Order: sequence, then C-alpha cells, then structure tokens
Amino acid sequence: MKELEELFLPDDVQYTETHEWVRGDGGSVTVGINDYAQDQLGDIVFVELPEVGDIFEKGEEFGTLESVKAVSEICMPVSGEITAINESLEEAPELVNQEPYNDGWIIKVKPDDPDEIKTLMHSEEYVEMLKGEE
Amino acid sequence: MEDRIMSEKHPKKTPLHDWHLEHGANMAVFGGYEMPLWYPSGAKREHLAVLTGAGMFDTSHMAVIMVEGPGALTLLQACFTKNLETCIGKDKTPLVPGRCAYGVFLDDLGHVMDDAIVSQVAPDIYMIVVNAGMGGQIARHLKDHSGMSDVAIYDLTDGIGKMDIQGPMSARILAEILREPEAVFDRMVCFSFKGFFDDDSPLADAVRFSDGTPVMLSRTGYTGEFGFEIFLNPDNVERVWKIALKAGKDFGLEVCGLAARDSLRTGAVLPLSHQDIGPWPFINNPWSFALPFNDNRTDFTKRFMGEDALKNIKKMEYTYPFLGFDLRKVSLGDSTVVTDSDGAEIGVVLTCVTDMAIGRVGEIIYSVASPDKPEGFNPKGLSCGFVKVTRKLSCGDTVELKDGRRTIKVVIVDDIRPDRTARKAIKNML
Repeated sequence: MKELEELFLPDDVQYTETHEWVRGDGGSVTVGINDYAQDQLGDIVFVELPEVGDIFEKGEEFGTLESVKAVSEICMPVSGEITAINESLEEAPELVNQEPYNDGWIIKVKPDDPDEIKTLMHSEEYVEMLKGEE
Repeated sequence: MEDRIMSEKHPKKTPLHDWHLEHGANMAVFGGYEMPLWYPSGAKREHLAVLTGAGMFDTSHMAVIMVEGPGALTLLQACFTKNLETCIGKDKTPLVPGRCAYGVFLDDLGHVMDDAIVSQVAPDIYMIVVNAGMGGQIARHLKDHSGMSDVAIYDLTDGIGKMDIQGPMSARILAEILREPEAVFDRMVCFSFKGFFDDDSPLADAVRFSDGTPVMLSRTGYTGEFGFEIFLNPDNVERVWKIALKAGKDFGLEVCGLAARDSLRTGAVLPLSHQDIGPWPFINNPWSFALPFNDNRTDFTKRFMGEDALKNIKKMEYTYPFLGFDLRKVSLGDSTVVTDSDGAEIGVVLTCVTDMAIGRVGEIIYSVASPDKPEGFNPKGLSCGFVKVTRKLSCGDTVELKDGRRTIKVVIVDDIRPDRTARKAIKNML
C-alpha cells in the first residue's frame, strides 16, 4: 500500500472526508474516488451506479464499489442531481484503480448549491486529515 | 482464545514482513500477525495466477505442534476427528510416515476448536499444523487430555517458517531449484510429504534446495489447486522466497496475499476456521470427510471427543456452499441474513467472496482453467461462499442473501470452482 508521500493528490480537485474527489465549478461537477481510496480498496471488479436524474443529499450513498474482498459505498460530496454516469466502468471497472482522476470518473452532478463545493478540502488539508487518522 | 486477542493489539510479524512492505503490500492483521492482503498487482491477478501459473504465499503465521511418544497415536485418535487407522485411500489404510490427514479438534460440545492437518513423520512422531495463533491453545488441549500416557507435546509457534507454492506450474518451478527433483517428485501423491525442516534429522536429506537448505515439502495447501506447502527454518525463509521468485519468473509466478488466499479456498469449498467452522456442532456441512463415519453413516468408527454431542443435537443446522449469479457480494455481519423463497429468515452467511476465475455459460460453470472452456471465455467472476441455515436445503434451491444495503439471489451447490487440480497425478505436472 502507498505511503502518504506516495499518494497522488492533484490540486485541480477537492477532497471529501470519505475520500471522493470533485472537479468543476458550481454549475456541473465530476466526482470520483481518490488515489488513497483506490489503493486501500484494491482491485475494483464492479461499480454500482445510480441512474441519470437521481437526486441525493450531500453525504448520501449514491453507489458502491465492489473489490475482490469487499463492497464499499461512495457518497455524494455535494447535494444535487446526477447528470451523467461513466458507462465505461461497466466493462472496465479497473479504470477506477488505473485512472482515478480521469477515465475512472464515476458521476457528474448538477449541484443544488453552486457554492457547496467551496466547503470541501484542498489536497494539503486532506493529507492533514489522513495523518490525523493514522 | 486469549493468545489471539492479545496478539490483535500487538500483532506479530513473519520473517517476510519487511519484504512485504518493501514490495508495496497492503497489510492487515490476521490471526495476530501483520500479513499482506494483496500486492500492487492486485488480488484478482493473484487469484488468476494460481489457476494458470503459480502463486506463492507467506504462511509462516500458521502454527506447528509436534506430538511424540508411544502415547501419541492414542491421544490423537481421542482428540482429532479423522480416524488415523483408516484414513489413507479407498482401502482405508492407516496413516504412515510421509502421509497427511485433514480433520478437526472438537470440544465436548462437538464445537470446532480448530481444523488441522496431521502428518506422521516417523512411528510415534506426528506433526500437526493448525491456524495462526492456535498453537498454544491446541497444545494445551492435547496436554490436558494426555493423562499419564507417555507423550510429549511441543508448541513450535513462530519456530517454523512456512510458504506455499500453488498452481499448475509449481512443481516445474521447484524442479529448477531443488537438488534432486526427480527423486523428490517420484510418486508424490496428494496429502503426502518428504523431507524435514530440521537439518539434524536423517529425514532432512530427502528434500534440499540447490543451496543445501533442508525443507519439508508437503503436497497440501489451501487453494484446491496442485501445489505444495514448504516448512523450513525461519532463518531460511527470506532467502528461499527470493530463490523461488527468481525461478518462478519464467513460469508466471505471482506473490499472493490473504485476499486471493480467501477467494481461492472458498472456490475450492475449504472452510476458514472460526468463520465457516466454529462454536457450533461440526455436522451437516461439506466437510464430513473429516469425521470418522462408517460406510453407511450410521455410526462412527472410533470414539473421539465431541462424538456424543454430535449424536445428540437438539437444534439442527446445515452448512451449504452457494454460488451467485454475478460477482456481487454481501458484507458479513449481524444484519446479514439468508431468506428463503417466501422471505422467511432461515440463517446466516458465513463467507461471501468473489471467485474471479469462474463464470456461467448457460447452465454450466467453467473456470479459466477448465480444459473444455468455450472459446473466448473471459469470466467476470461469481460470488460464492457458505451459508448456515436452520432448514435442510437441496442443490439447486435458491435463497437470498441480504445485508443492510443489498439483496442477492444465490443457488445452493455442492461444488464451486470446477476442474481443480489439487489431486492431479504429479507426473502430468512436471
């Protein structure tokens, strides 16, 4: 497993306590799981996605990631409506491990409150949070 | 149980601990030891490697107990479920030096303390391999029941190193690095062993690596596939591990962690101690070969601890293997239940994993290793495991498994991963 220093945590996204990342401005955001999460989960073999049009609150579970060993929930970083789901993940769930911030994106959301994304963590804050969990 | 609980807070390390960290293993505590769950190649690749090439596992967390003396056989016959006088082959001959037998240790209630493999090293000398953290408890159990008999029991926990090589290429890999592979593999049947881990023993010359390292090489394992368990001095573990890795490169050898170990053994319908077998009567399960039943199953062929309880069960429970219709699993836990077709709760889920190497084609299950698999067969895997229910079920019955989040339909089966290779004649594997 990766040490904290080895984790790839880019600056063009923001982070949640439950290890999702969010990219975008207030109008439309893209969501996935970060390098720490994919490293901890191991091989993702199945992704359960919501339907386009579904509406969730921030923190609510919107899907699951199935690894060889276990099933993990993925949670909404902001409240809003699902506008797109990454259909490539049906045939290639491993994209979540291989390209967590690009081809392994999971959903796109139209946030209820365009400013809610500003409450999320940047990479330095997220690393501090991980250190605190150790 | 106290040994294991203490060790969970201060986990022990195997000789390969630092090697695992250096090679990016994702670690977790199991049985009181910090062990690799998987390596960067991932648990799916590790599972598939054992089916198509070979996988190597650090198993030094397991415990070895020696039972020696004229009273050893009597003690084992009383405490171990397998009848060691009738455990070899269809002719039911006794355990002899070089042969191994699988069984369980039961308490007076017929509950499983642990499962184990017993090997006869020499007349009056037996080696028992139990699970991680169980050496102390099982050794004490044997001592408590040895009475005045002439028997010595030695708990060798952390004193013996162990690694497993499993998969169709495992003998070919070992042939590259053993001193006399033809002699070692000659007539080596499943559940037999040669050599010894103690260099001072005359048995040690039977199996040595090219550099002289003595090992006990046993045709046993926990994957259901052709392979070996290697017992050796802990000081030699890292060196032999690296020698085997180098030799295995050309044969598709992957190092494997506990995640792949778990999915492989489940697909092979092998129980995990303290999960699939445990504090309930050891009866009505897929492992009746561990009990000394007579031919028509009306009685047992010997007296042993726990026998009376097994014959007097008030509330029957049944443990069955199951197979899902896709790879999705349920989580284990108090809120996970098994329901029948009417929605009535009938039991619990003991194990639920994904066997990544199998898939359904119509009604038939194939594995990636099936010789008759259809062209282009590229399975996504199927969920599988064991349920324990309060009702008798038959093969083909469907039940539902529900955890707090998900419901999956599964079918009761008598076998999971097809075309397993553990028992293949060794001459075909060289």
